[in-house]
Amino acid sequence: MAADWEEIRRLAADFQRAQFADTVQRLSERNCIEIIAKLVQDKKLDVVHTLDGKEYITPSQISREIRDELYVHGGRINIVDLQQILNVDWVHVENRASDIAKSDKGVQLVLGQLIDDTYLNRLAEEVNDKLQEAGMISIAELCKSYDLPGDFLTEELSKRLGTLIQGEMDQYSRGVIFTPAFVARHKARIRGLFSAITRPTHVSSMIGTFGFQEHLLYSILEELVNTGRLKGSVVGGRQDKAVYIPDIYSKTQNAWVDSFLQQNGYLEFDALARLGIPDPSGYIKKRYKSNKLLFLRAACVGQGLVDQVEASVEEAVNSSTWTDLQPILPSCLSEEDTGMLINQAMRNTNVQSSARVLGGTVVVSEKFISNCLSLFDEAMQQKAQKEVKNNPVFLITEEDLKQASILTESSALSKKEKREAERRKKATEGSGSVKSGGGGNAREIRIRKTKKKGRKDEDSDEESGPSQTNRSKQTEAPFMAQEEIVAVLEERVSDCPEEILSELAEHLVRPLTKAYQEVLRTVFMSSTSSPSGANKKKSMKDLQEEITNLYNNIRLFEKGTKFFSDETQVHIAKHVLKTLCTDVTNILVNFLAADLMMSVENPSTITNEVRVKILGKLSEETRGPLMKLHNCLNGKTIEDFLTNIETSAEVCGFLLKKGDKKKERQALFQHRQALTEQLKEAEDPALVLHLTSVLLFQATTHCMLHAPGRCVPQIIGTLTGRVPVEQQQLLTAYQSLVVKQLVSQGKKQQEEEKEEEESEEQEEEARSVRSQLMTLTPQVKDLVLSQRKTSVNED
Amino acid sequence: MADEATRRAVSQIPLLKTHAGPRDRALWPQRLKEEYQALIRFVEQNKAADNDWFRLESNADGTRWTGTCWFIHELLRYEFRLEFDLPVTYPDTAPEVAVPELDGKTAKMYRGGKICLTEHFAPLWARNAPRFGLAHLMALGLGPWLAVEIPDLISKGLVVHKERPREAAAE
Repeated sequence: MAADWEEIRRLAADFQRAQFADTVQRLSERNCIEIIAKLVQDKKLDVVHTLDGKEYITPSQISREIRDELYVHGGRINIVDLQQILNVDWVHVENRASDIAKSDKGVQLVLGQLIDDTYLNRLAEEVNDKLQEAGMISIAELCKSYDLPGDFLTEELSKRLGTLIQGEMDQYSRGVIFTPAFVARHKARIRGLFSAITRPTHVSSMIGTFGFQEHLLYSILEELVNTGRLKGSVVGGRQDKAVYIPDIYSKTQNAWVDSFLQQNGYLEFDALARLGIPDPSGYIKKRYKSNKLLFLRAACVGQGLVDQVEASVEEAVNSSTWTDLQPILPSCLSEEDTGMLINQAMRNTNVQSSARVLGGTVVVSEKFISNCLSLFDEAMQQKAQKEVKNNPVFLITEEDLKQASILTESSALSKKEKREAERRKKATEGSGSVKSGGGGNAREIRIRKTKKKGRKDEDSDEESGPSQTNRSKQTEAPFMAQEEIVAVLEERVSDCPEEILSELAEHLVRPLTKAYQEVLRTVFMSSTSSPSGANKKKSMKDLQEEITNLYNNIRLFEKGTKFFSDETQVHIAKHVLKTLCTDVTNILVNFLAADLMMSVENPSTITNEVRVKILGKLSEETRGPLMKLHNCLNGKTIEDFLTNIETSAEVCGFLLKKGDKKKERQALFQHRQALTEQLKEAEDPALVLHLTSVLLFQATTHCMLHAPGRCVPQIIGTLTGRVPVEQQQLLTAYQSLVVKQLVSQGKKQQEEEKEEEESEEQEEEARSVRSQLMTLTPQVKDLVLSQRKTSVNED
Repeated sequence: MADEATRRAVSQIPLLKTHAGPRDRALWPQRLKEEYQALIRFVEQNKAADNDWFRLESNADGTRWTGTCWFIHELLRYEFRLEFDLPVTYPDTAPEVAVPELDGKTAKMYRGGKICLTEHFAPLWARNAPRFGLAHLMALGLGPWLAVEIPDLISKGLVVHKERPREAAAE
């Protein structure tokens, strides 16, 4: 028991001892970290902890480790990799790495990678190997394969060129490294290729075809060209459009241009462009600085050619002929250029005013043209004469009229009358219409003041202001159509090309027309002013006689119509109106027209239209009755006409005498005489029948008859009972035959258009009719001719 | 329950074999010896782990124990006196440890400064009696209680560090 307690005491003591024994001074991890952090904070310690926080590391150790890693990795290591290996914060790694790069010359920091010289040397060796193998190597390629910046590589490699790398760098682009052998080979190829070139060639195309190195090519090419080994030049610098032009080519080109110019005297820009000269006109200007070349739109022309042109132009002008420059000029010149050239030549020779260009290439002197004009003088005169005689109405203009009236007035009228006429003339001018007839017939024209609104000066003698408005439009009488002119010219002017002639004609048309107008006017004046008073009187007498004759005849004819039925009467009357009456009217009208200088040679040619036109120009007094007369020509009865013509004739100053018995008989006789003459001549059965019947009618009724052909049956009808029966039968038989023939003829005409066959029968018939007619004709003729004898005998 | 470190520490403490209370004349010395051995072992362990946190001594017959315990919070050492008697029914009943200085400062304490351990500790002790001894009491009872309560009290300002000289000496 005691021992136990003893032991307990001992244990208690032990326990106390244990309790007071020194505690092992152990720092927990936490404390350690805190302490170190404190120290680092106080800058008493320079350590870096690893990323997992388990280790501390001094910067120098990092440096050492970096170097080790660099060595292990063969001289090149990425800082990112380094950081992972060292397991230290990236900032520290980078700092140490840059420190190393700074302090150690053999180590560089490139693109976040540490690279030392050994690595670069090895790289250079590798590059050299590749280079020797390929002959050339581009930095860009190396950049890609080594993943290093080009500048850095270029710099490092160029340091080692010649030592580690057996090659050279392109001087210009520095992007490529070549071996000397490669360069030499290239050079040889280039030399060969470009020596062989004879025409301008795009350098780029050569690169494409032969696989040259662009940089090398240009530098070598330049070198070869500069040293004179290659005869040629590179145009366009070092770009894609660089062109190599061999000297031989430019030489031939120049030679060709020279010879062409020398031979032909001109240069066509197109041709030069075809030769490959890009700026022809510039090229020419540069090349022929001293020569005076005339630059046209698409070509330039040498002095010689210009001289030639000038000479021919001058000659043409001097000799007052024409010249065609076409043969002289090069055919390639465009029309525009030709025009420019000719104009230039004309300017140079100072003949612009005395020559003109026709048809583009023909130079015609003005003298020649005026000569040509004179060729037409004669023809013009003739034509004018003819025209004046034929159809003066259309030619006459108001002005002509005035002039003419002045002329006639001045020649024919007394002073007083003249003044009056002048006054009248002015009035007419004022009134704007031509009312005055010829001044010579002043007695028929009563002067009347025409009242015009707003015209104060209409009657004043002093004022002479013909208003513009009433000038009627001058209608120009055409002289000749262009074609006609051409024809005439062709006759007179030999060896002229046709188109020139036509152009010349075109030029001449206007002056000719103008000249013709002049000529016409003068001719007209001379012709109208010529007839003297005596002449006129005489012609008046003749006219009066003629009109009277016709008038009487018409009256007689009218009597003749009374024998027929109404219908036939109308037919005959119309016929008479259309023929004889129209003639009378025409004579009257023509007479009046003569006063107006519009008379026509042959009154019978006056047509309805012309008549109306002339009538329109007559004065009111004469126009009224004549208008009526004119209108009744289209009427149905002769009586109207007769009354009208009496008044008309009166107005015109003719006296119509009604025929007495003696005269009537004379007329009858004359008429019959004329008809028989005609009958003797006549062959046509229809005409024979017509004449015969008319004559028989006259013989039986002692009335003259003027009837149209279609009234023949009626005439024959009226003859019934007045002539012996056998004659009557003969006539009717003949008539039926004539009708048959006419019908068959009409049919034939129709059938000819359709079919020619089938008509044989009819032909047969027609033939028989014809033969019958042939036999009957003399008998019918005899009817009258024999009767005439008897009647004559009777008379 | 105690944390993993404590558990490990506890597992290192030898379990007691003798079932005897202070009244048990014959076996008590045996039991006391075992107690001492366990305590020595625990202290050694703590020292080795740099985790020494109490001093303890007993009266002659080993029924009353006094000492100090300390807690380091934010690099400051807070030291408290501690005392307890072995109950008669020991080892079936756990002794009630008292920290008189903290009496009335915390709710987890009985009158007289006895810390309130019943919640977890009592059933644990009951399950392990009689193999648990004083060492276990310290490790599983007072230690965790201090770890929970002291920072709380300090933050509440109920416990103020006044003994700087001593704290400095301890360091």
